[in-house]
Amino acid sequence: MTVPIGDYVGLASVLFFIGVAGVLLRRNPLIMLMSIELMFNAANLLFVAFSRVWAANAGHVFAFLVITVAAAEAAIGLAIVVTVFRAEKNVDVDEVRSLRG
Amino acid sequence: MEIPFTQADWNAVIPVAIVAVTALVVLLADLVALESVERYVSIGVGLAGCAAAAVFAAAQFGHDYNAFFGSFMTGGFTTVFEEIVLVAAAGSLILYGSIGPRARVGGTTALLLWSTCGAMLMAGAANLMMIFLGLELLSLGLYCLCGLVDRKSARESALKYLILSSTASGFMLFGMALLFGASGSVLLSDLVNPILANDPLFVMGACMFFIGLAFKLSLVPFHTWTPDVYEGAPLPVTAYMSVATKAATIAVLARFAYAALPSPIADRLLLPVWILAGLSMIAGNVGMLAQHDLKRLIAYSGIAQVGYILAALAGGTPLGLRYAIYYLTAYAFMNLGAFAVAAALSTESEEGSRLSNYRGLGRRRPLLAAAMTFFLLAMAGLPPTAGFLGKILILATAVGSGFTWLAALLIVGTAISLYAYAKVIRAMYERGEHRTHDARPFVPLAWASAAVCLLAILLMTFYPLTPSNVLPLVK
Repeated sequence: MTVPIGDYVGLASVLFFIGVAGVLLRRNPLIMLMSIELMFNAANLLFVAFSRVWAANAGHVFAFLVITVAAAEAAIGLAIVVTVFRAEKNVDVDEVRSLRG
Repeated sequence: MEIPFTQADWNAVIPVAIVAVTALVVLLADLVALESVERYVSIGVGLAGCAAAAVFAAAQFGHDYNAFFGSFMTGGFTTVFEEIVLVAAAGSLILYGSIGPRARVGGTTALLLWSTCGAMLMAGAANLMMIFLGLELLSLGLYCLCGLVDRKSARESALKYLILSSTASGFMLFGMALLFGASGSVLLSDLVNPILANDPLFVMGACMFFIGLAFKLSLVPFHTWTPDVYEGAPLPVTAYMSVATKAATIAVLARFAYAALPSPIADRLLLPVWILAGLSMIAGNVGMLAQHDLKRLIAYSGIAQVGYILAALAGGTPLGLRYAIYYLTAYAFMNLGAFAVAAALSTESEEGSRLSNYRGLGRRRPLLAAAMTFFLLAMAGLPPTAGFLGKILILATAVGSGFTWLAALLIVGTAISLYAYAKVIRAMYERGEHRTHDARPFVPLAWASAAVCLLAILLMTFYPLTPSNVLPLVK
């Protein structure tokens, strides 16, 4: 039995919006970074699934590219969070607000 | 197995490669150079790399070629955007050399150059993968650059930029995945298929892609990060960010709007983008009224200026693209110029961007005040600056292609902005005693770059005299 492509799109959409909700609702930068990773990986799932549907390798390559970029992003993100934490002793984004848009 | 790429493929990315290798050279030089000359070596090598890349990019003008199976396009369009990005990088390096912190210059220069690579990739990108790669390279460098000074607001700006910009990248990536799902290809040229026009996957994908772009362009309502991040970041980084990210993203948007949307649906899909552009003109200019910091002022002004540039693109006409590029170039020079003046007013401990420092500047530093007045007039779009000519051209093309409402919003926005710019200019020429501001007496590099920008804006007003094909079309 093969899983229809609609299911993959549905699952990826759910994962993506869990990620969006995480960024919007959680106030801890670490959780927010994790939510962003979830958004990236939802897209990865779609790439791989569609790659199979179209029998095109571009999607597989794109997924690997995204994994690499996400790793770089996580490295830089954690470094920035650590810098903020060292200076402020606090990683709640509500406390990091001397700049107000 | 043979590698399927030819020499011509590699030649297409030579400018990008030069910048990337320069960054490595800077890092190496940083290790071996004496501490006393370290800064000059880093900045010097970085500038030389930018200049070399600019020469090689200029050599590609008019040579259309689809490198790497249509992933990276060279030609006039790419060249112009690469040059704008390189000018921004060079300007930022110069400002960094004159007022930046003494420490960690090598690393900062390298990050800036790699970030420039990303922007240059975006300028030529013709497939979704390349767009994503370029965008992330540009952004990852900028996250670090924002937080590289030891200041609370800088750390905050880095964190804010990281979280919000990554979220936008997530939206864009998901949109790309849907576009790939609809078309089965990551090439922009394969997206121009009328069969796709009514595919819900394609429409959803394009919408999410545009949300990502709108964030990077800081269009209303995705603009709230801009003033905060600009204010917190070091001044040279703000100067770079305000030009390079916008230039690179406009290149992607123009390529997408002109070359990658199936024609029956393009107007319908892009309409929200033009509406956001119209809103940005109003919101950006209104936001400018209450600002007390030059960086925030320029952030809001930039939100509005991007709206003007998009208004030129709205008609989808070749002429509109030319005028958008023209205005973008003028925008680059006026922003860099204004930041150069602010850099000349900086002290060891404080960047000269607070607007209260500008009170009575006309008496204390008449030349700098005159230059700043000129740049502000250019942003406001008054003659004799290129900003004026650019706005007239945009108005003409917007009305000509049926976007009269965008032209009307442009005029209303300009009227609002005049008040905000005039407030700063009036403060500079105010009479009376003011807190004396102990800025360095003479910062040669900052003065020189302000002069270059001023000259460039003046020269650009002769644009109508140039041959009509001087600005390229997207292919």
